[in-house]
Amino acid sequence: MSNEPVDVLIIGAGAAGAAMAWSLAETRMRIVCLEQGGWMNPAEYPTNRSGWELERFAGPYSLSPNGRGRREDYPVNDDDSPIKISNYNAVGGSTILYAAHFPRLHPSDFRVKTLDGVADDWPIDYATLEPFYDLNAQMMGVAGLAGDPAYPPKELPLPPVPLGKLGETLARGFNRLGWHWWPSDSAIATVEHAGRAPCINLGPCITGCAQGAKGSTDVTYWPVAIREGVELRTHCRVREISVDEQGLASGAHYIDAEGQEHHQPAEIVIVACNGVGTPRLLLNSRSDRFPDGLANSSGLVGRNLMFHPYAMVQGLFEEPLEGYKGPTGCSIISQEFYETDRSRGYVRGYSAEMLRGMGPVSTAVWGMSSDRLPWGSGHHDAFEKLWDRTAGMVLICEDLPEAHNRVTLDPDLVDADGIPAPKIHYELSENSRKMLDYAVARSAEALKAAGAVETWSEAPLPPAGWHLMGTARMGLDPASSVVDAVGRAHDVKNLFIVDGSVFVTSGGVNPTNTLQAISLYVADYIKQNLETLFD
Amino acid sequence: MSESTSPENTSSEGGLPVKTFSAVLDELIPARGSALPGAGGLGLGVFVADQLGEAAPLVAAALADLDARAEAAGAPDFASLDAGDRGELLRAVAGAHPGFLETLIFHLYAGYYHHPQVMEALGLEGRPPFPKGYPLELGDLDLLDPVRQRPPLYREV
Repeated sequence: MSNEPVDVLIIGAGAAGAAMAWSLAETRMRIVCLEQGGWMNPAEYPTNRSGWELERFAGPYSLSPNGRGRREDYPVNDDDSPIKISNYNAVGGSTILYAAHFPRLHPSDFRVKTLDGVADDWPIDYATLEPFYDLNAQMMGVAGLAGDPAYPPKELPLPPVPLGKLGETLARGFNRLGWHWWPSDSAIATVEHAGRAPCINLGPCITGCAQGAKGSTDVTYWPVAIREGVELRTHCRVREISVDEQGLASGAHYIDAEGQEHHQPAEIVIVACNGVGTPRLLLNSRSDRFPDGLANSSGLVGRNLMFHPYAMVQGLFEEPLEGYKGPTGCSIISQEFYETDRSRGYVRGYSAEMLRGMGPVSTAVWGMSSDRLPWGSGHHDAFEKLWDRTAGMVLICEDLPEAHNRVTLDPDLVDADGIPAPKIHYELSENSRKMLDYAVARSAEALKAAGAVETWSEAPLPPAGWHLMGTARMGLDPASSVVDAVGRAHDVKNLFIVDGSVFVTSGGVNPTNTLQAISLYVADYIKQNLETLFD
Repeated sequence: MSESTSPENTSSEGGLPVKTFSAVLDELIPARGSALPGAGGLGLGVFVADQLGEAAPLVAAALADLDARAEAAGAPDFASLDAGDRGELLRAVAGAHPGFLETLIFHLYAGYYHHPQVMEALGLEGRPPFPKGYPLELGDLDLLDPVRQRPPLYREV
C-alpha cells in the first residue's frame, strides 16, 4: 500500500525527531513522522500507585528493551557488551524514562584531536550549536543557574532544581575539598512553563513523570508541532528506507499496528532513531546500489559505538538526608575533573552527577542484597541505620571512538514484525578503565568529605547503556564519516541523520541536549537552504 | 511432604497454609512496639503470595517442610514453636530449599515498606508519590560562593 507523497519524512519521534518536526513545521511543508511506539499515558506511570519503587527494575517501565515485553520495542542482542542497552520506544522516545539531566558539551569537546591528540575534531563547534542550545532550553524548559565557571556564560529560563538537604550535604563536601560543583542543568519545569505543571519532587523521574513537569518530548515539542500541522503516525515501524534509480532516498517501507505494510514516499528523509536504531535501519536498507546498507560507502555505519562508561559511588551517612524527595538524577553536578590532565593517567574526563537517595523498599532490598539488613530480631535496628541515609553519584566518563565497538545486524534475532534486530559488540578501553578507577577514588573522597561513614562503588555500571553515540559519525571526509557537517549523508543527498549517531566524540555529559541542538541546527540549515538543497 | 492437621492452618493464601505463612513472615520482620507491626500481623500474606509467581511451589514446599520438622520435634506446627526454635528451624529449612528465603524476603520487603502503617512509622505519608508530591527546599545557594570565585574551568579553543 503506497501513501500520498510528503515533503519530509521523519523516522522516530524521540528527542531529536520531535525537535526536527517542530522546527520544520513553520515551513508549512507536508511533514509526517513515523514512530514505532505509541503515546504514553502519565496516569499509568508507577508513581501513581503503591509499589512504584520496584517497577524500574522489571516490567514495562524498566530500562532494558529485552525485559519489558512491549511490542513497541525491538530486541537488542547485547550479550557481547559489558554495558547493556537502555532505551524506550514511544512518542518521546527515551526521554520518557530519562533523568532529564541536561548539560551541554564543553567547547573543548569539539576539538579533542587538536587539544589532546586523540579521536577526531568535530566539523562544527560550540559556537555553532550555542544558539540552538539556547532555543532548546526554552522549548524543553531547562532549569539551572547562570554563572557556572565550568562553562562559557549561558542563561537558562527556569530556576534551578532544589538542592534539598542531600544536595547541601554533598555540596559542603565538595567545598571542603575546594572542588567544583553547580546546580544541575535539568529539563524539569521547576515553575509552570509552557502549560506544564511545576515539579512536585515525586522522586523517580526515570519511570516517567506523572506530573508532566519533566521535559520529555511528548509534552514539550510534540504538542506544538502537531498544532502546527505535523502528522505523527504512531505504532508504525519502519523496516527499510527505499531508494530511487538516482540513488536518492524515496521514502520508507513501514508496518502499521495491524501488521499492514505501507510505503511512504517523501522528498526528504530524516532519521532520528538513536545510536543503535539508526545504524540498524541503515544496515537493513540494502539495495543493489547500496549492498552494504544505506549511506555506508565508508563502512562506518554502526562502527565507533560510544556509550558513557558509568560508575556509581554511594555513601552511608549518619543523619537523614530527605533523599527520597526530588528529581532522582538531578541535584548538583561536579566537573572538577572534566578537562584533560594527563597526570591522572588518562585523557579526557568525566562529570560527577549526584543521585538522590532511596525510598523505603529500595533501601530494604539493597540492604538485603548487600548483607546490611538481617531478617529477624535485628531487622528494625539495622533498617533505621540505613533508611534515608544514603546518597551518591554517578560518574559519566567520556568514551573515545573505536572502530571495533559497533552495531551490526543479528543473524537470527528479529522484532515482532520480523525485522532483523541489532547486535552490539563493545569492549571497555584501557583509557576508560583508568578513568573509572580515578573517578571512583575521587568520588569516595568527596562523599567522605561530605560526612559519609562508608562508601561503595560499582564500575562499569552494567545497565547504563542509555547514551548511544557515534555510529553514523559526522565529518568532512566521506571516507571517514557517514554524514557531513549539516547531518546530510555523504552518499545520499536527501537523507539526514540527527540523533546521537552523528556524534564524533562523546564528551563526558548526557547527550540529549546536544543531539537536540544538532537536530535544531540541521533543521535550520534545511530551512535556510530549501531552494538549493539538492543542487 | 506432611500436611498440617492444625485447623487454623487448613485455610490457604495463594495455596499456602495461613498460620505457618504468617508465622514465617512475623519471624522475618517481627513487630517492634505498637508502631511497627510484624509482617504477618500486618496481613501481608496475600500480597506476598500473589507476587511469588513461579516461585510459589518452592515456598509451599519449604512451608510444608517447616511444619513437618516442627511435628517431628513434637510441636503441632511451626507457628507453635518457641521464638528461638522458629528462627533456628527457618535457617535450617532455608538451607534445604535454596532460593526460598531470598525470594520470600524480596517480595515481603516490597509489601511491608510500602504499607501505609509502616510508611507512617518511618515518618512518611502512607501513599504513593503522585499526586501530592513532596515539598523540598531550594537550599542555600550561598554555598556556591567559593565556586563562583574560581576562574573559568573550561578550556578556550
